[in-house]
Amino acid sequence: MTTSTSVERSERVDRVDAPGWRIVAGQECRDLWVSGRGPLLIFGFSVLLSGVTYLAATNLDINFLEQREAVDLALQMAVAVGVLLTLVVSADGISGERERGTLESLLLTPVSRRAIVIGKLVAALSVWVVAFVVTVPYLWVLGRGVSIVVQALLLGLLVGTLVAVGLAALGLLISAVSTSNKVSLAVSLFLLLALFAPTQLPSGLPQGWFFDVLARLNPVTAALHYISAVLVNGHAWTRDLSYLVSPVLTAILAGGALVALAPRTVRLHGGVSGE
Amino acid sequence: MSMASVTVEAQQLTKRFGTRTAVDELSFTARQGDVVGLLGPNGAGKTTTIRLLTTVLAPTSGEFSVAGIPSARPNEIRRRVGVLPESAGYPGHQTGRDYLRYHARLFGLARSDAERVAERLLTQVGLGERASSRISTYSRGMRQRLGIARALVNDPTVVFLDEPTLGLDPAGQRQVLALVRETAQSRDATVILSTHTLPEVEEVCGTVLILEKGRSLVSGTVSDVTRAVAVQTSGQLRVPIDQVDRARRALASVTGVALEVADGRPDVLTISLTEQPGGRGDHRGDTGMNAALRAVLSADVPVLSFEVEGVRLSDAFLTMTGEGVG
Repeated sequence: MTTSTSVERSERVDRVDAPGWRIVAGQECRDLWVSGRGPLLIFGFSVLLSGVTYLAATNLDINFLEQREAVDLALQMAVAVGVLLTLVVSADGISGERERGTLESLLLTPVSRRAIVIGKLVAALSVWVVAFVVTVPYLWVLGRGVSIVVQALLLGLLVGTLVAVGLAALGLLISAVSTSNKVSLAVSLFLLLALFAPTQLPSGLPQGWFFDVLARLNPVTAALHYISAVLVNGHAWTRDLSYLVSPVLTAILAGGALVALAPRTVRLHGGVSGE
Repeated sequence: MSMASVTVEAQQLTKRFGTRTAVDELSFTARQGDVVGLLGPNGAGKTTTIRLLTTVLAPTSGEFSVAGIPSARPNEIRRRVGVLPESAGYPGHQTGRDYLRYHARLFGLARSDAERVAERLLTQVGLGERASSRISTYSRGMRQRLGIARALVNDPTVVFLDEPTLGLDPAGQRQVLALVRETAQSRDATVILSTHTLPEVEEVCGTVLILEKGRSLVSGTVSDVTRAVAVQTSGQLRVPIDQVDRARRALASVTGVALEVADGRPDVLTISLTEQPGGRGDHRGDTGMNAALRAVLSADVPVLSFEVEGVRLSDAFLTMTGEGVG
């Protein structure tokens, strides 16, 4: 009797027309862009990029920067800040829902915890995609006449997406195991600062094999180095591919760990111990 | 004995958090159409029990089935249950309609079906006119009703409601309790209602399960639990003020009771049992109170009210959990 009742009920509701991750991603994107902080973050991003583009353009006018360097500078800034925004959004993904009390309702649906994190990852990556789209006109303005705009855009899309996937997955992992949203945001920002710090040294990293290895291990410095090598030094895309090993591995390992560990990490209470 | 099918069955269910045992070898069953009151003091394990049965937490040991589905298939169980979690949060920027539509979609409904179900449920819980308002503008009672609607989007076999009336004003409580009753009756669903408010359990629940420190103290119908546990000690008899002396004379002939006039109320007589019942299940007190009432009625004294203390579910609860001692 129980079984027949259950089956009748399930027949009334089982009309799946989209996988769970897509439904989660769709709602997360709506929350982020229609009524959330996405537009505000991108407005801040465009103001910053406008400033950088203006400085690069005026320096270009007085010949302090070559046009290729100006495009490289703007692209590096776009990748760095775009990835930062992606990380900030993903770091709030699980811990934020936990604190707002909305995670339990999500866990009570038949959507698997893996599908939940994939949906959230896709929504976080939408920040990077929109940031990249916003970057296009700036690169076009700076790169007019030297025919590197298309190359810069392709490079930015490829390399930026690799870094964004890796760091967004790391941000969600941190968010899942953090005991509070503040901890998650603090740890994620510290991680980002640690990864970006070498790029901010006035004369770059010191020379030598040790620092070369460090630069290659760090997915951010490796990715930005690759962009510069192609855009400024005019290297072929295939020449410095070894610099992309770290961003690719980070994306695969962090993304894989996020999805594989989701059944254990996406839960009502944060922390690394068992529930 | 109800012949309805068993929808919830827990066997030796245990949940430990480190060295602390939140639920300790809990076993019980609930049937289709039952409204089961899950009672217990703070920290008794009510919320953990609900989280185990709804697969949000994994048990340390023991087994359970919900809607005939064993605990080894949690995704299928979640398709059959609806839950209003304790202190559930709501996304304030979404409208009530968006919120329900999203959850209906998560349960596998097609877009058009989700829309239809959301509209129907919002109307059912009395939020039809506020469907397009943001949840941040809802009162607490409205949010609780929205939460109940959310728990029903998948037409569940078993509905778990964790403290649904917490923080609501009396009108809000009545609305939510009416919804609970309607859910059990019209949908023939099993409702597991966790609450601290015992009068509402007496009002809507057919059976109760009392927990303490994660263990089951007693379970059964409300009347069985009350009869088995409660101990009558006194009663309050109200008669017309000019009949008080006549009532006193009638009661004087009843052995085993003592009389006094209630403080500040000359028309109310407090009847106390001078022979205390022997313990749980001893109903000598019942006889004493009945004899007192019979004596008053035989003397043709009009009885305006007669209230026996110690026979309510709250008395049984306090006796069982020791919270009434002292």
